[in-house]
Amino acid sequence: MIYRARHLQDDRLFECYLAERHGEPMDLPAAEHLADCGPCGSRYADLATFMEALRRDGEAEADAVFTPDWLKTQQQQIAHRLEHVGRPARVISFPEPSARRAMTASVSRTAPRWVAAAAAAGLFVGVALTASYEWGSQARAARQRIALDAATPRPRVTPAVGRVESNAADEAFLSELEFALERPHTRELLAFDALTPHVREVSVK
Amino acid sequence: MSGELRTLPGPAIVEPDTRALGAVPRRRPATAPLAEDSQLAVDIRALVERGELDEARERFSALVALHQRRALRIAYQYLRDSAEADEAVQDAFVKVFSHSADYREAWPFEVWFTRILINGCLDRRKARARRDRWLVAGEISSADEARGATGADANPEHRLLARERRARLASAINRLDGRQRTVFMLCHYGDCTPREVSVMTGLNESTVRVHLFRAARKLRGLLGGRP
Repeated sequence: MIYRARHLQDDRLFECYLAERHGEPMDLPAAEHLADCGPCGSRYADLATFMEALRRDGEAEADAVFTPDWLKTQQQQIAHRLEHVGRPARVISFPEPSARRAMTASVSRTAPRWVAAAAAAGLFVGVALTASYEWGSQARAARQRIALDAATPRPRVTPAVGRVESNAADEAFLSELEFALERPHTRELLAFDALTPHVREVSVK
Repeated sequence: MSGELRTLPGPAIVEPDTRALGAVPRRRPATAPLAEDSQLAVDIRALVERGELDEARERFSALVALHQRRALRIAYQYLRDSAEADEAVQDAFVKVFSHSADYREAWPFEVWFTRILINGCLDRRKARARRDRWLVAGEISSADEARGATGADANPEHRLLARERRARLASAINRLDGRQRTVFMLCHYGDCTPREVSVMTGLNESTVRVHLFRAARKLRGLLGGRP
C-alpha cells in the first residue's frame, strides 16, 4: 500500500497529459516523478496514446466526411444566406392580378354585378312563390279536415279496455324480443341476467 | 439528456456575463492584442454599424474559413450526422453575423462562436430526441457511411475495422453524462483549454477538469483501454 501511494494517481496523470497537450507547464513534482518512475511513465504513455488515438479517430472521421469540396460549398451557402441578412423579406405576390388581367374590363366589372342581381332576384321570387303555395295548400287541407270531422261520427271507445289491450300488446312484443334474444351472449352478464325479472315471468305471475 | 441540455446556460446568444468572466482568469487584459479572429469580428461589427454590409460580408468569409473545419468537427461529434452538422454550422455563422453588434472584445471570438454553435447543437439534439420517440433513429446516416467508405484507405478490411472502431467510439461518447460529453467534446475535438471550456459553459475550471478526467476514465473503461 505504501509503495502504491507513492505513485501518481490517475487524476494527476491526466492533469499532466492536459498540461502537455495544451503547452502549459507540468506540475514539477509530478514531472520529476514521471521521469524517475518506470511504471508511472508507462501508465502515462498508455494514457497519452489512448487519448491521442481517440482524437485522431474522431478528427479523421470528420475530415473524411467534410472534404475540401464540402467546405467550399458550405462557404458559398453561408455567403448566400448572409446576402439576405439585413434586407427586408421579399413578398411574392399572389397570382390573382394576372388572372384578372386576362379578363376584359367589361366582363370583369359588370358581369359579376348582373350575376349577383339576377341571383338575388331569383332567390326572392322562389321564396315568395313557395311561401304562397304552402300557405294555400295548408288552408285547403284544414278546410277539408273540418268538413270530414263534421260528416263522420266518432266510434265510442272504452278507455280502460283499450289501456289493458295496449299493455298486453306491449308485453307480448317484449316477450317476443326476449325469446328472440334468449340469453345474453356475454358470459359475464349471465349472473345479472339471472337476477333481472323478465317481462314474461311477471306477466305469468 | 436533460442534464446535458442545461449544460450551457442562457439562450442561444448570450451577452457575456461580466461577473462570471471577472472570476475567470481567461479574461484578456485591456492591453493584450486581439487574436486574428477577434480583430476580424471587431472590424465586421464596425462595418455593420456603419451600414457597409457588402464589405462586412466579404470580411466575414475570412472568419468562416478560419473556424469552419473546427466547427464542423465539433458539430459532427455532437450530432453524428453530416447534414445536420452542416446546417448547425451554417446557422451558427449566420447568427454570428446577424448579431455581430453584440460581440464584445471581452470574449475571444472563438469562445463566443463556439458557445453559439454548441447551443445550436444542443437544441438540435433535443429536437432529435423528441423526434426519435416516434421514429426509429439510425446510428449513422447511410450517406455518411458511403462517404466514409470512399475514404483514403482502399483496403476494405481496414475500412471495416475503422468503421467498427468509430461506431464503438461514438457509442461510448454517447453514453457519457451530458456535461462530461460537452466538456470532452470541446477539449478534445474543439481544441479548447479547460479555461476556455469553463468560459463557454459557465462551469468552474476545476469542475471542467474533473468532468474531463471522469469522461476519459469512463471512455477507457468502455473501450477497454483502446479506442
